[in-house]
Amino acid sequence: MVKRILRKTTHLLFQTLPLLFYGFSFAIIVTGLMKIKLNAMKKIIFLFLSFFISVFIVNAQKGINFFSMYAAGGKMLMNVDSSAKNVFYANVFPNQPHTSFSFLPEVHQVNIQIYFRKTDNVQNYRYTILENNKPIVVNKSINEAQLKEVDRGDEEIFRSTSFGTFPVKDKIITIITYDIQKPQDVYTTVFYGKSIPRAKIAAIGKRFIVEGGVDYKYIVDPKNKTDLILNEKDDELTIVKVKSDIDYIYAISIKDKQTGNIFFNSTVWQYGGHINEAREFSPYVKIDKSVFKKSGDYEIVIQPLIKWTGCRDCDFSPKDIEKYVSRYTLSITLEEENYTKKELLIYTLIVAFSIGLAFLTILYFIKKRNKKQLIENEQQKNIAKLQLNSIRSQLNPHFLFNALSGIQNLMNKNQIDNANKYLSKFARLTRNVLDDKELISLSQEKTLLDDYLQMEQLRFGFKYEINHSENLDLANIEIPSMLLQPFVENAVKHGISQKATDGKIIITFIKQANDLVLTVTDNGNGFDTEKKNNGLGLLLSDSRIALLNSIYKENRFTLDIQSSTNGTKISLALTDWL
Amino acid sequence: MRAILIDDENSNLENLRTLLEKHCQQVTIMATAQNVSDAVDAIGKYLPHLVFLDIQMGKQTGFDVLKLLPMRNFEVIFVTAYDQYGIQAVKFAALDYLLKPIDIEELINAVNKAEYKLATQIQTSQLDFLLQQLKKPETNVGKIALQMQSEIRYVTLSEIIRCEADNTYTYFFLANSEKILVSKSLKEYADLLRPHGFLRTHQSHLVNPKYVKSWLKEDGGILLLTSGEKIPVSKPNKETVKQALQQL
Repeated sequence: MVKRILRKTTHLLFQTLPLLFYGFSFAIIVTGLMKIKLNAMKKIIFLFLSFFISVFIVNAQKGINFFSMYAAGGKMLMNVDSSAKNVFYANVFPNQPHTSFSFLPEVHQVNIQIYFRKTDNVQNYRYTILENNKPIVVNKSINEAQLKEVDRGDEEIFRSTSFGTFPVKDKIITIITYDIQKPQDVYTTVFYGKSIPRAKIAAIGKRFIVEGGVDYKYIVDPKNKTDLILNEKDDELTIVKVKSDIDYIYAISIKDKQTGNIFFNSTVWQYGGHINEAREFSPYVKIDKSVFKKSGDYEIVIQPLIKWTGCRDCDFSPKDIEKYVSRYTLSITLEEENYTKKELLIYTLIVAFSIGLAFLTILYFIKKRNKKQLIENEQQKNIAKLQLNSIRSQLNPHFLFNALSGIQNLMNKNQIDNANKYLSKFARLTRNVLDDKELISLSQEKTLLDDYLQMEQLRFGFKYEINHSENLDLANIEIPSMLLQPFVENAVKHGISQKATDGKIIITFIKQANDLVLTVTDNGNGFDTEKKNNGLGLLLSDSRIALLNSIYKENRFTLDIQSSTNGTKISLALTDWL
Repeated sequence: MRAILIDDENSNLENLRTLLEKHCQQVTIMATAQNVSDAVDAIGKYLPHLVFLDIQMGKQTGFDVLKLLPMRNFEVIFVTAYDQYGIQAVKFAALDYLLKPIDIEELINAVNKAEYKLATQIQTSQLDFLLQQLKKPETNVGKIALQMQSEIRYVTLSEIIRCEADNTYTYFFLANSEKILVSKSLKEYADLLRPHGFLRTHQSHLVNPKYVKSWLKEDGGILLLTSGEKIPVSKPNKETVKQALQQL
C-alpha cells in the first residue's frame, strides 16, 4: 500500500521532467520533418509554375482534366479525372528519400508526365512502370523524339513527355526512374488509387534481461486493449506492424491516456528481426521501457503521414481521416521502477521524511489521546471523590445533638473534667468531618472511633474494644476517612442500644496477607441483610464502596454483612492494600 | 514560666487561664491581651517565656504580633479554632499549635515541650522562619523545619530524596547522603509534602519525584531513584504515582 502511494507521489513529482524531455525530442523530430517538407515545397512550387505553361501544350484526352495539373513528386506531374476530389498529391516521408506518394482515393484515371531540364541528360534516364507492384514497362529509356518543349516564359525551357493515362481506381501505379550515371538514386513515384489500409499490429513484445543476454516475449495479434506487466528485468518494448507495401507512410505515436500527452513518436520502422508467414520482414519499432514513467493506460496510434490538408478540392473531415488511423490501448503495470541514483536518493529522503512525519503524527495523536484519557480518568476520579466527600460529610445530626446534650448533662452534673474530655472528643469528630480529608491513618481512625464510641457510651453504656493485628503500622497505613464510622454507628443504633451494659462492640483491624480487613461486630439483635431499608448509614456505605472501587482500581473493596439474632458482623476487606 | 495569653475573645482567654491554672501549674500568667498592640506591649513589658497566640484575631493575626517584635526570644504555642490559614506555615516551621476547644492532654503536652526547650536552652529561629514562610505563596515554601533531638534543621524540599517511616518516627534521606530522624510520623509529613509534589508510594515511603530515575515494573511496581535505591510502590498508590510521573 505504502509502496503504491509512494510510487504515485514520486511519479507526480518527476512527471514534469520526462515530459520536458519528450517534448523536446518531439520538437526535434517535427523540425526535421519540416525541413524535408520544405524541400518538397520548393519542388512543388517549381512544378506549379511549369503547370500553367504545360496546360496548353498537352493534348486533351477524354475524362481527364488537363487544365488542373498536380505535382506528383520528383520529375512527375499528373492530371486526374475532372470529377476527382481529395487528391493528396506528392506526399513525402521521413527516412524515405526519392519517394513521392500521391493518394488518389477518388481518381479513376491518371495521366502521368515526366519533365526534364535542359541540363538533364535524357538518354541516361531509365524508367519502369509497375501496376500493382508488377512491372508493365521495365527499364525503358525515354524516346527523345517524343519530348516536347515546354516554355514557361522563363529563360529555362523544359522538355516533357507523357507515360500515358492509367486506370488507377483500386490500383497502384508506380513509376521508378533513375539516371544510369547514378544508378543508386532511384526515384519512386507512387499513384495510390487503393484505399490505404489501417495499420495492424502483429505483435507487442518485451525484451528482458536474462543471464548472459536478453530474451523476448510476444503477445501476438494483440486485441484493442492489451495488458502488459513490466518488471525491472524488462528493458525494451517492440511493436511489430503487419507488413504492407507502404510501411514507410505510417507513423507510430504513444499517448498517455490520462494526460493526453504524446510522449513517443517514430517513423523509424526497422526490418530484420521479424518475419511473417510469407517469410517477409515485418516492420517494427523499438521503444525503451523508460518512456513509461508510471503504470496506466496508454494509446498506441499508427496513422499514415498523409498531409490531409494538402489536397486541392478537399472534402475531407476528421471523421474521414479517422478511417485510416488505428488505435490500440496498452495497459501497463510497472512492477519495479528503475530510478537513477539521484532520484533514488531523493525518493529515499522523501520516504524517510514521510515515515518520520507519519510517525510523529501518530505519536502526537497517541500522546494526545493518552493525555485526554488521563484527563478523563482524572475527571472521573474527581467526580467520584466529590461524591465521596458529599457522602462523608453526612455525620448523623441525631448523633451530633445527642452528643452535645450528653456533654450538657456532664456540665450540669458538675463533672467538669469529663465534660472537657467529651468536648474535645466531640470537637475532634466534627473537625474530621469538616476537614474532609481523603485519607487518614489507621491510628487516626482508631482515635475517631474511640471518640465516637466513648460519646455513645455516655448515652448507652455498652462495652467496646478496638483491636488490631500486631504487625500493623497504624501510624502510617492510610485508609479513606470515615470508612468504618457508618458501620459503627449502625452497630450502636441497631445492635446494642437496647442492650444497655450487656451490649458489646468489637472493632478489629486485621492484616491478612496483603489485605487489610476491618470488622465491626456487635451482639445485638441483628437485622435482615436483604432488607433495603437499613438506615442511611449502610445505604451510603454501599455507594461509598462503589465509588472507592472506581477510584482505587488496583484494589478491591468488598463488604460482607452477616447478621443473626445473636448479632451482626460486618467485614470490610481492602484487598492488596498493604 | 512566665506566660502571656493572646486571644481576641475574652471567653477563650478565661477558658485557657482556667485550664492552665488547673493542669499546668508551672505556668504563671503575667498578662492577657485581646489585640495586637496590647499584645506587643505586654510582651515588651513582661518578657515572657511562653506566649499562647491566637492566630485569627479579628482583622489581624497572631503573626502580626510576631512581626512587630524586635526580639522573639520566647516559645509560642499557637491556638486556633478552625483555620487553615497559617497552620500549614506553622507546621512547616515545626511549631506547636492547639485546636479549640482545647484538649487538656494536648495542652499539657505542649506546655511540657516548651518547658523542655526552655530548660535545654535550644536556640531556635523557628519564628523567623515562620515569618519568612508567610511572605511566600503557599505553593513555594522552599524549606521545612525538622525537629531533631536537640536542634532544628531547615531543609530545602529539593534536597529531600525521600522519607521512610519507622513507626511514629520518620527518616529523612537527603541529597548529601545525610539521614535525619524526626519524631513525627510519616503520615504527617506526607500530608505536609504531598501538595508540593511528593509521592506517597507506600505506607512507609514518601518520595521526591525529582529523584525518580525510572519505574521498574517488577513485583507490582518499584521506583528506581537516582541514588540507586529501590522504593516499593504499593497497589493503593500505584495509580496516583503513575499519573504523577506521567505528568512530569
